[in-house]
Amino acid sequence: MRYGMAIDLKRCIGCYGCQLSCKAEHGTPPGVFFARVVKREFGTFPNTQLVYLPTLCFHCTNAPCVDVCPTGASHYREGGVVDITKDDCVGCRACMQACPYGARYFNETQTGYFPGQGLTPYEQKKYAAQNVGIVLKCNFCIDRVQAGLEPACVANCAARARTFGDLDDPHSEVSQLVRLRGGEQLQPELGTRPNVYYLPPA
Amino acid sequence: MTTDQWIASTCGLCYGTCSIRAHVVDDVLVKIEGNPESAIGRGRLCGKGVAGIMTLYDPNRVNVPLRRTNPVKGKGVDPGWREISWDEALDEVTARLTKVHDDDPRKLFIQRTTTNTAIRAPMMMFAAAFGTPNSWAAGGGLHCGNGAHLIGGLYHASWSLVPDFKHCRLAIYFGASKGHGAGHVSCTNMQDAADARARGMRLVVVDPMANFASAKANEWVPIRPGTDAALALAMVDVILNDLGVWDAEYLAQKTNAPYLIGPDGCYVRDAETGKPLVWDAARGHAVRYDTPDGAALALEGAYDVAGVRARPAFVLLREHVRQFSPEWAERISTVPAATIRRLAREFATEAMVGSTIVLDGKRLPYRPVAAIYFRGSQGHKNSVYNCFAIELLNQVVGAADVVGGALGFNPVCYGHPETGKPWYEPKSGPDGLMITGTWVAPHLPYPISDPKHPSTMSLGGLFPLGMFGPTMASSDQEELWTKFGLPYRPEVMLNYGANSLLSVGNSDTVAETLARIPFIVSFDITLTEFSEFADLVLPDASYLEALDSRPNVPFIFNHPAGLGAWSWPVRQPVVPPAGQRRSAAEVLIALVDRLGIREEFNAVANTHLKLDGPHRLEFGTPYRHEEICDRELKSHFGAERGLAWFKEHGVISWPKRVEEVYWRAFLDVRVPVYWEFLIGLNRKAKPIANAAGLDWDDAWYDPLPRWMPCPSHEVQDGAFDLWGFYYRDTLHTNSFTNENPWLDEASRLDPFSYTIALNAATGRRKGLRDGQPVTLESPHGRRVRGRVHLTETVHPECVGIGGCAGHWAKTLPIARGKGVMFNDLLEVDWAHGSPVNLNLDTCVKLRIAP
Amino acid sequence: MARSATSDRLLADLGATFRPQRQWVEGRGIWLIVGHFLSGVGAGTWLFSLWLGYRPGLGLALAAVALSGLAHLAFLGRGARFWKMYRARTSWIARGFVGMTLFLPGAALYVLRPGGALGGLGLALATAGAVVLIVYKGNVYAASKGVPFWNSPVLPILYATYAIRGGLALLLVALPLGGRGLDAHGVGFLELWVAVSAAVMLGFYLGVMRSTNLAAQRSVAELVRGRAAPAFYLGTVGVGLVVPILVGAAGFAGPLSQVVLAAVGATSLAGDFFAKYAIAKAGVYIPLMPAGRGPAAPAA
Ligand SMILES: Nc1nc2c(c(=O)[nH]1)N[C@H]1C(S)=C(S)[C@@H](COP(=O)(O)OP(=O)(O)OC[C@H]3O[C@@H](n4cnc5c(=O)[nH]c(N)nc54)[C@H](O)[C@@H]3O)O[C@H]1N2
Ligand SMILES: Nc1nc2c(c(=O)[nH]1)N[C@H]1C(S)=C(S)[C@@H](COP(=O)(O)OP(=O)(O)OC[C@H]3O[C@@H](n4cnc5c(=O)[nH]c(N)nc54)[C@H](O)[C@@H]3O)O[C@H]1N2
Ligand code: SF4
Ligand code: SF4
Ligand code: SF4
Ligand code: SF4
Ligand code: SF4
Ligand SMILES: [Mo]
Repeated sequence: MRYGMAIDLKRCIGCYGCQLSCKAEHGTPPGVFFARVVKREFGTFPNTQLVYLPTLCFHCTNAPCVDVCPTGASHYREGGVVDITKDDCVGCRACMQACPYGARYFNETQTGYFPGQGLTPYEQKKYAAQNVGIVLKCNFCIDRVQAGLEPACVANCAARARTFGDLDDPHSEVSQLVRLRGGEQLQPELGTRPNVYYLPPA
Repeated sequence: MTTDQWIASTCGLCYGTCSIRAHVVDDVLVKIEGNPESAIGRGRLCGKGVAGIMTLYDPNRVNVPLRRTNPVKGKGVDPGWREISWDEALDEVTARLTKVHDDDPRKLFIQRTTTNTAIRAPMMMFAAAFGTPNSWAAGGGLHCGNGAHLIGGLYHASWSLVPDFKHCRLAIYFGASKGHGAGHVSCTNMQDAADARARGMRLVVVDPMANFASAKANEWVPIRPGTDAALALAMVDVILNDLGVWDAEYLAQKTNAPYLIGPDGCYVRDAETGKPLVWDAARGHAVRYDTPDGAALALEGAYDVAGVRARPAFVLLREHVRQFSPEWAERISTVPAATIRRLAREFATEAMVGSTIVLDGKRLPYRPVAAIYFRGSQGHKNSVYNCFAIELLNQVVGAADVVGGALGFNPVCYGHPETGKPWYEPKSGPDGLMITGTWVAPHLPYPISDPKHPSTMSLGGLFPLGMFGPTMASSDQEELWTKFGLPYRPEVMLNYGANSLLSVGNSDTVAETLARIPFIVSFDITLTEFSEFADLVLPDASYLEALDSRPNVPFIFNHPAGLGAWSWPVRQPVVPPAGQRRSAAEVLIALVDRLGIREEFNAVANTHLKLDGPHRLEFGTPYRHEEICDRELKSHFGAERGLAWFKEHGVISWPKRVEEVYWRAFLDVRVPVYWEFLIGLNRKAKPIANAAGLDWDDAWYDPLPRWMPCPSHEVQDGAFDLWGFYYRDTLHTNSFTNENPWLDEASRLDPFSYTIALNAATGRRKGLRDGQPVTLESPHGRRVRGRVHLTETVHPECVGIGGCAGHWAKTLPIARGKGVMFNDLLEVDWAHGSPVNLNLDTCVKLRIAP
Repeated sequence: MARSATSDRLLADLGATFRPQRQWVEGRGIWLIVGHFLSGVGAGTWLFSLWLGYRPGLGLALAAVALSGLAHLAFLGRGARFWKMYRARTSWIARGFVGMTLFLPGAALYVLRPGGALGGLGLALATAGAVVLIVYKGNVYAASKGVPFWNSPVLPILYATYAIRGGLALLLVALPLGGRGLDAHGVGFLELWVAVSAAVMLGFYLGVMRSTNLAAQRSVAELVRGRAAPAFYLGTVGVGLVVPILVGAAGFAGPLSQVVLAAVGATSLAGDFFAKYAIAKAGVYIPLMPAGRGPAAPAA
């Protein structure tokens, strides 16, 4: 079992649904995005293409963030999911420097989204489960997955651009998409072997 | 003890009204997801929808009724709010409204936001019961509906259209982002459009900017703003005159193309019945259009009929478009003539005129092409002809509401299998042209009512093709009202949410008009720029705290088109309203009783909501909002499926039928490719206008479309070398969601959301750096400031500004000072509106202020 | 207000093509640079003091490393959990931590009771720890795959060089405190030699980086004309290399006073600090969507 995701850049419309549904699921503080959408344009007028690149933690098979973690807080768990044990993280941020994909965030403070106006009831509830002074990142929504659901960003994606599943199973939808559509990893030369694949935009 | 529940309801962050499930733990909303049991959204939401938690819990929400203490009203002037009780508030509203009602009910001016569609029915019913015709939706003359809804209604019995995503092979979008960033049913369309893309549907997007739809298109066709009619007319010319392609059968049977037109441009009519005549080639003489067995109707030729030389409308159309050559269109639109020819050829070829397909055992026409238009192309002075010209592309190849073509939003419904309700279909009206069969929201572009001396603030009576006119907030409103001798002036304004300061045009003009209104009551969830002009603010329950039996204007507006399922969802509170917030619908009904207009209201409700049998309201009985909702649901879905059933189940769904979706082949109605009715309209309207001293140009009332320049195209001063245009941001609903901090944060990450998009080469030529603050200035001296984003995705002559941002209210701390308020550049006056449908122009000539 | 300024910057960083590294240099991140600086200097001082038989230097070394430990704790978000670092051995930070936990008790033992078996054990532990401390730091940076500017085998060598030089520099600074038994000019000469090597190393490193990927190039640009340039020119190059080398070279002409040598030591120390500071500050992360490559780039 190796959990993975295929993100279809042809289907993705840059709606930020993943970024925001992830935020809603995990109640991440301001400035922290387990899922994020990056927009970049290529070419010159009028042969221009605006590409939307939704990102998250790639749950690398060869994760540099795990290698550098001094406490083992960052670790591989079932299905190859790279996760952080909250209570073991010392907040050294070596993992942030090691991750080539900007997937990790340091949880600086517990200020909410309405500065100077306290925390909303939602924030109070969500922040109670978080620690300050540690690093946070996407965990492939492992709690949802174990409960038989898809990750929040996958379940919600309006364009159905994201497919989650078992990359070890050649018959899984995600494996087939990666194979048939020529899925590519981001910066494969780094040797990180991400388990998130991008399907080409054209 | 913890409580944990999922409550089915409806999103209200844009008019898409996707069905949601709200996860509530210990009375706190912790997550909003899509409801997979509903066809509306199919379990998936856009980014705004999931961010609704932050709108619900915004600490800047209004919690108590507020009374103004500062009599001075103005932009940025603190009203000096004083908290009052609901009783006090309602007493004052009642007193004010009673006075107006006794005096002249038309002095009540009603305005509402489009964002929350659920309030549409209560507000319209209240207005009707009260007796005021003066009501508009925010945005006014800029509103989506003036051109697009009108033409959608005339041709598709619908408010708008989409390509048949399941079967279409080539869609051309003219200024619409359907399925990509905004538009009707945007979430569901996003899924369908992605499927179409995966399937290989070719998408061509005509747009000044390559942002949402164009970013995903196979081809982006950059266009100068406001010139869509020129492009479309040239395409029609190539198709009809160079390629000689048209769907003769469709044109003959489903349009007025065969109607004989006399030298005066009008129908040649049957002397006896007054019905338009057509030439029957088989019989060799003219017959009435509705003669049975009129199979061989001539589309070409010239005939002597009833003493005149008459020609089928189609011939006139073909001749008319001859003048719009691709070379001519290139000069106006900047789209190369070769591209225009190629697009026309591709459209005509891909239409596969004559082909059929079997669906559900029925052989149906198959025309897998669609020309789609919305805000972008309709948002101009030339709104009507822009949409008319584009729609002709669908009409000449017969790609309207057939498999693969342009589909209206559910103009036909044969109801739930058990109750047969709701039931509606278009039917044939005067001169055989289609009358929409839609309901709940009356949408009756046809038959066109006779123009009369205007007695409403919008001057609507004189312009029956207009939905909302700028006069309700224009700089020359007093002048126009005086000209037409409007016998009253607005005395009380009842506003629901709408923030017209940001959505109508430049805020100075809007502010002046608002400041003249003696008393303004506003139902609000936050204090906005509009509140600076309100006398009384009533704290509304937001969409997550309110109840409604009809949250999505079923089904013609924001219910997915195409095959699939019908779904009727409800909205219900997922948490109780905090503070003293009350749902506006309930408050309106309370006002009905206080004002003593209960009989009128109940009568209106019976028709408007199509209440039936035992579920009809008794005239004299008071009903609470909840009871009316319950009766409405029972009325459609049976006594056992009232509000209680819906609260538990959230939504009722049943499958769509082929006859409902591809209805064109099944119903005997015609649509106009030649607008003969405009001639009559002009004849009647012009004298009224002239008598009032209003300039009148007959060119706007030609039965066939042409390109008419926007004011921006007529600016002579070469210093103004840029065209400003507007687009909707996927992250925001007009001005509303800027206050949502999750969305604000995403906008700040986005390169376009809060910036002024300028073509990179143009910017470099002007010595600008990316991110540099600039001031844009219009020829009228209107200015806005913002940061430029240099990009390759914009036409070199243009600057694109997204959203309706640029808030200044201190009561919106998140939204304040973010983004650019495009509308502050727009003039709101007669000269910038359409003299046919009153649509306000949304493009403006600009320069970077030195 | 403060929060919205930070969040503004955070969002601006995320939106930038080359996102600047701030965690290990700004805010409390400065403590990490201080910690890295002190542990290198301390370990270097330890080794040279042993070699030169200079006992006060051992105490200085112990103090420097102890302060480094405190600086590290001041940096960590959850410092109180530091002992959890014993558990992972693959990471260079954990190795550094092991180095420190060898060094501190060992050095303390040896400084307090130089003789006997216990002293011998202390000496062995501390010396092993010092070697680890000199080696680990550059490797911590070099393991940072996200920051190509650091992700280079040259960096551990550069940082070890700097640690050695820092050790010598601290000794020079200590000279006026009582230079019994120390060949001040010998140390000064060594210092000059190491400073020149450091300069050469630094030049080599930047040369390599300039021809590496876009992000590394961007970092070099940050160093020579961007965010890190002031610290680099004034601190790393000026105070840290040019001054000590020039003054040291002047030593060939005639003997330098202890005060001048101490000043050379101080400038070298500052240079050591600013080398770490500037290199940290110049760090930028790999862009997510490099122009013209990766799956996101359109075919043509
Ligand atoms: N430049 C330019 N301007 C445009 C347009 C354009 O294309 N270009 N488009 C026009 C169009 S099509 C439209 S429809 C209009 C829209 O214009 P508006 O309807 O004014 O737009 P919104 O900002 O969505 O809504 C205004 C307010 O509605 C309030 N609101 C939302 N939900 C609720 C609720 O549940 N209860 C209450 N009481 N209030 C609520 C919010 O507080 C918000 O401030 O803008 C028009 N303006
Ligand atoms: N996310 C989001 N969704 C929304 C809304 C929202 O505010 N945000 N608002 C809702 C409402 S009220 C409406 S009416 C709909 C509107 O839905 P759309 O009509 O799809 O949205 P717009 O972005 O206003 O216009 C579409 C495109 O027209 C382009 N355009 C501008 N001027 C011209 C022109 O002259 N010619 C051509 N060809 N293109 C031009 C713009 O660049 C833009 O890409 O969306 C609804 N859905
Ligand atoms: S939710 Fe889906 S379509 Fe939207 S940005 Fe994310 S991946 Fe793209
Ligand atoms: S993407 Fe970054 S955080 Fe995620 S596993 Fe890979 S290296 Fe670690
Ligand atoms: S910050 Fe936490 S998770 Fe990251 S490397 Fe340090 S201890 Fe491990
Ligand atoms: S998998 Fe879960 S945690 Fe990861 S980005 Fe998606 S929603 Fe966020
Ligand atoms: S499209 Fe509109 S209704 Fe649907 S989830 Fe988004 S904001 Fe809500
Ligand atoms: Mo609209």
